[in-house]
Amino acid sequence: MSAILQTRNLITNFYTYEGVVKALNNVSITVRRGETFGLVGESGCGKSVTVRSIMRVISAPGKIEGGQVLFFRDEAKPDEAEDLLQKNEADMQALRGDTISMIFQEPNAALNPVMTVGEQVAESFLFHRTASLARDAVARMQDEPGAYGLSGRLFKSFLQKAAGQDPRLPMLKIADRLPLLRRWRKPLLAEALKRSVKIIGQLGIANPEEIIGRYPHQLSGGMKQRIVIAIALACQPDLLIADEATSNLDVTIQAQILDLLHQLKKTTIQSILLITHDLGVVAETCDRVGVMYAGTVCEVAPVRALFEKPLHPYSAALLNSVPKLHQKGELAAIEGSVPNLVTPPTGCRFHPRCDKALEICLQKNPELKRMAQDHFVACHLY
Amino acid sequence: MAAYIIRRLFFLLFVLFGVSVLIFGLMMTFSPERRAAAYITSPQQAKDIPRIVEQLGLDDPVYLQYLRWVGRVAQGNLGWSLVASSTVWDAFWRYFPTTLELNLFAAPLVILVGIWLGTLAGVNRDTWLDHATRIFAIVGWSLPTFLFALVLLMVFYGYFNIFSPGIISDSVQLWLADHPDQFTRYTGMYTIDGLLNGNLRVFADALAHLVLPVITQVIVVVALLMRVMRSGMIEEMGKDYVITARAKGADFRTIYHKHARKNALIPVITVAGQLVALSMEGSIAVEVIFNRQGMGWWLAGSATQLDMPVLMSVCLFIGVVFVVANLIIDLMYAAIDPRIRLE
Repeated sequence: MSAILQTRNLITNFYTYEGVVKALNNVSITVRRGETFGLVGESGCGKSVTVRSIMRVISAPGKIEGGQVLFFRDEAKPDEAEDLLQKNEADMQALRGDTISMIFQEPNAALNPVMTVGEQVAESFLFHRTASLARDAVARMQDEPGAYGLSGRLFKSFLQKAAGQDPRLPMLKIADRLPLLRRWRKPLLAEALKRSVKIIGQLGIANPEEIIGRYPHQLSGGMKQRIVIAIALACQPDLLIADEATSNLDVTIQAQILDLLHQLKKTTIQSILLITHDLGVVAETCDRVGVMYAGTVCEVAPVRALFEKPLHPYSAALLNSVPKLHQKGELAAIEGSVPNLVTPPTGCRFHPRCDKALEICLQKNPELKRMAQDHFVACHLY
Repeated sequence: MAAYIIRRLFFLLFVLFGVSVLIFGLMMTFSPERRAAAYITSPQQAKDIPRIVEQLGLDDPVYLQYLRWVGRVAQGNLGWSLVASSTVWDAFWRYFPTTLELNLFAAPLVILVGIWLGTLAGVNRDTWLDHATRIFAIVGWSLPTFLFALVLLMVFYGYFNIFSPGIISDSVQLWLADHPDQFTRYTGMYTIDGLLNGNLRVFADALAHLVLPVITQVIVVVALLMRVMRSGMIEEMGKDYVITARAKGADFRTIYHKHARKNALIPVITVAGQLVALSMEGSIAVEVIFNRQGMGWWLAGSATQLDMPVLMSVCLFIGVVFVVANLIIDLMYAAIDPRIRLE
């Protein structure tokens, strides 16, 4: 299988008052076309920073300082990659939400509280499907000339321009900035809302026509998460990044959402990059897994291989700390705590907590080594 | 909605009761003789004080005096203003339009400039633009109003001889006195009346007199609003929904103006509402220095001469203004934030 996304030695730092937080230290992962890749690790290990660096939505004081994010857009040309870190902001905006989109961990916070959910889903179409929305609007106006009231009549020529050509025409851009001319987009919004109704309905929300007029606080957590998913899926992305998409939901809702992702995987989305700290979710949904610790990737393996025979001491400890039904006595925990990334440990970042640490672990940062077909580990033990 | 407004206005009665008890209590701390002295104008009349005390019942039990006063106020009789030498009611309608006129121009400017500069500073955090607006805000906020007003007056009136103090030029005043039939005082505000009468000369003249006071008012007040807007924008820009918007491909313009600003406006509404309400009692420094006979000017005169009926009436007025302002703030909250419902 060819890769769809690959990070190479990604380095992201946060410039805080306490010092430079070295959040990502040479993170290299590969998501293949058609697979679900899981990224696991404790809170604060850099999972979210990794995907936000991929999307380049790191907010200040964070800065991506090195590495590459290669995106393989065309399946037929597996050697042609574009480095997302080299793209300009306008190109990234065109790509975000269209080819790569993202869903978030906290549906309560991920939606704008003062906008209706319909508007928020519609934005995905408005940003990326202007021309096709305009074509729909023009077609509808041919059937019924008064379809959009005054704004449709006044701005018919605008719509025709947007439908026929690149919607980033300078003329339309200027109109977008002017108070009354901005209304040429009204028919587009109407069309985008129609599409929003459709996609929300497909995601299993009952009477979507009514739901799109509601505000986030009027919906349940599970419904909100479906809206967040609808925003991400609106433009049928090639890669979906799910950042702890189920962590803050009730277990039953969690199961529903995972089920939904599973179905979508079969029908619409090609590849998923799933971030979670829940090993159960990993076992259930992922094809391959990357284990992260303190801003480094310590093991990458097919999901079965990892659960059966974890190679890295951290992966083993992580799996060992999962509560099991038949287990008696205290839950196994990993000694010590997550290191402060302003002054990360020298050498292998896990060595202070590792019971198998060697002399070399203090000095040298281990490289990812191939141990078996598809099984990589960054540890001096091997 | 209508029921909510009526209930809130009913609540106004309680506020007014509280305010009236407070200010009446404050007045009662003066001896009856001291209060009677307010009615005499020369030292020779001092021997009349005991007579005045008895005539006006200033010696009666407090509750009786209170009820008598409330009864009079309820009938619209707010008393006699020595400073204005007219009834408080008439004086109020003479002075209030002047203050209202100033705020009619200053308040929209304060709100627009405050929101605009605050947004600009917030989204360009820690750039030279942010620092410049912050310095502007600190200077504006910490500069004493009277000093700023005096400097403006010295430069523009004293040196360039444009924008003279006062409400309207003497020549226009004389013309108005000569032609009372050609100019109707609908509102008491020269700019508005000038437009309503179709008299552009009066309008332009009154507007020219407003320039310096409005600038002073805006510079002094806008800083607070700007800071609230700035911190609101910074806070909202750090929220998760902004990342969601970015992840779906929104450009920064859309994020600032469509997503973050509407949320950041919520605290701004409170501050703006309070500022506008506060300015309805008139800025004493602005009105005294620019010689505009408005509420602040009247209040300053009344306070120094212990013009009790005026002070008490103005306190009641301020109570009404704040209750109404808070009601409007709450209605705007409900309009902008769908999570707030008026119950």
